[in-house]
Amino acid sequence: MRSKINIYLIEYAINSLLRQKYKSFFITVVLTALIFLLSSLFFITNSIKYELQSTVNSLPEIVVQKVKAGRHYDIDVNAIDDILTITGVSSAVARVWGYYYFENAGVNFSIVGIDEYEQQYKNSLIHVAKKLDFNSGSSMFIGTGVKKVMNKNYYQEYFNFIKPDGTLKKVDISGVFNGDTELESNDVIVMSKENVREIFDIEEEKATDIVVKVANENEIATIASKIKLMYPDTRVITKDDLKISYQNIFDYKSGIFLALFVVSLFTFFIIIYDKASGLSSEEKKEIGILKAIGWRVDDVLKEKFYEGFIISFFSYMSGIVLALAFVYIFNAPLLQNIFTGYSQLKTSFELPFVFDIQTLALIFFLSVPIYIAATIIPSWRSATLEADEVIR
Amino acid sequence: MIKLIDIVKKYEVNKNNIVTALKDINIEIKEGELVVLKGASGSGKSTILSLIAALSKPTSGEVIVGDNRVSKFPDNFASDFRRDNIGFVFQKYNLIPTLSVKENIILPLLPMNLHVKEIETKLERVLKMFHIEHKANQLVKNLSGGEQQRVAIARANINTPKIILADEPTANLDEKLSLHFIDMLKELKAEGKTIVVATHDPLFFGLDIVDKEIEIHQGVLS
Ligand SMILES: Nc1ncnc2c1ncn2[C@@H]1O[C@H](COP(=O)(O)OP(=O)(O)OP(=O)(O)O)[C@@H](O)[C@H]1O
Ligand SMILES: [Mg+2]
Repeated sequence: MRSKINIYLIEYAINSLLRQKYKSFFITVVLTALIFLLSSLFFITNSIKYELQSTVNSLPEIVVQKVKAGRHYDIDVNAIDDILTITGVSSAVARVWGYYYFENAGVNFSIVGIDEYEQQYKNSLIHVAKKLDFNSGSSMFIGTGVKKVMNKNYYQEYFNFIKPDGTLKKVDISGVFNGDTELESNDVIVMSKENVREIFDIEEEKATDIVVKVANENEIATIASKIKLMYPDTRVITKDDLKISYQNIFDYKSGIFLALFVVSLFTFFIIIYDKASGLSSEEKKEIGILKAIGWRVDDVLKEKFYEGFIISFFSYMSGIVLALAFVYIFNAPLLQNIFTGYSQLKTSFELPFVFDIQTLALIFFLSVPIYIAATIIPSWRSATLEADEVIR
Repeated sequence: MIKLIDIVKKYEVNKNNIVTALKDINIEIKEGELVVLKGASGSGKSTILSLIAALSKPTSGEVIVGDNRVSKFPDNFASDFRRDNIGFVFQKYNLIPTLSVKENIILPLLPMNLHVKEIETKLERVLKMFHIEHKANQLVKNLSGGEQQRVAIARANINTPKIILADEPTANLDEKLSLHFIDMLKELKAEGKTIVVATHDPLFFGLDIVDKEIEIHQGVLS
């Protein structure tokens, strides 16, 4: 009978929390806020990791750039023919792209030239646009971030690019990306290669770089060094190099998150320490009274367990729910800015929903049992004293 | 039957200051007796009640209540023993001020996980018996001293203990309320309970319901 759940003790615990309603309320608010902050950080980190992973997966295996005096120059498209002779290379395609600085807004757009018939581009970009179609001539697809910036600056239907010679190039907006790798495509504009050439003044037989596709992942390094031998004036960047630099951006940013994480844990432990370090004299006396009228130590501890559980579990649930809403419904205002804007673009992007039981469990074990222990331990100390000492 | 055999109780205030509260105490109280423990302040009355209720352990000697050697009880046994056998009316009542009268009275029953009906029956009985029904839902902190004391007696009797221990029960009462308390003791005695009252209130001396007066002086029986 004693092992059964005792409703009276639960009732007493609730009653006891209500009797100290300001204290209970304060602790609940602080705990909820901490759990909210902590889980928001975890949720954002998880989402961005996921985002980066899919971005990295869609990166080209090898990119060849021409370099002179440490700077990047347009590369001769003839190099493609030579590269294609290397065994293991499944395709080599010239890319035409660049960063366009939009002065009015003070942001950079990434303009990518695309040719409908080039498979390489389709693989890496087709999934971000609903439909790639440039039949209408002077048109482009833009990322959601670009759209926002353009709309804010009175460009609803088209945009006027300023060419290097100072003349204007008008391009119609014919679509907006709805891809899942938003972190990357947010600031991107996709248009035909001719248009990109015109806007950046790139000659017909030149390209920004050459993207090489390799059938066998293990051959990437060998093929990269062969290209380097063939064209000593190039920089050959492999997927692994890119992965590392993407990872670096993430790691740097997550350092900031780590700092916030540490701060919130620190606060939590201050609360715990404060709680664990002692009971008020009324609380001690109450335990003494309960003992004196026939409660056992374990009855007292059970009741304290319920008190701790009710507060911490309630805070846990509300913290998690608030964080889910904050991150995935409101898209984490304030916090997510730390992570976005690869090319200074002040844009927003949607955090993909990543449901991760492990994260929820981790936060649970960081909060609920620790709080319960902090509630029980000081009570246990009082409850095991001679009741006579406590009530005197 | 309650027996205290060769009891010595020392309190260690600190290393250089050990207070001997009781010394060579031998007391025997028979079932159904009403015993008055009298003595000046600090003479050791509360300490004796504490020992009987297994709220503290003697430094040496033995306390026997019925068949139980309560001075040898581990903590959980002591709790069960108190719950099932002892009704303690504490010197300062030891009620929980922020709980209602009702909640205070049923407090000893909560860990027993009884049926609601059973708790209600027990509660009704003591509310009536000690005339506190009309205040049942009030917070204890809003009650007068006499009312608080009736709550304390009601709580002590909720689990129909065989032994009632009362520590200075009339210290905070005027004469009328004190006489009323003595009436309540009469009722309890009539039910066959063993009662020990620690007091220096002369109202108790020479009462016809008192079977024995034990006088204690600086920790020694006189
Ligand atoms: N926990 C304790 N620590 C140290 N000394 C104690 C402790 N409890 C009691 N004493 C001492 O033991 C002696 C007996 O105390 P006790 O409370 O039994 O006296 P009492 O007869 O009940 O007095 P009163 O009439 O004032 O209630 C006193 O000298 C008291 O100071
Ligand atoms: Mg006393």
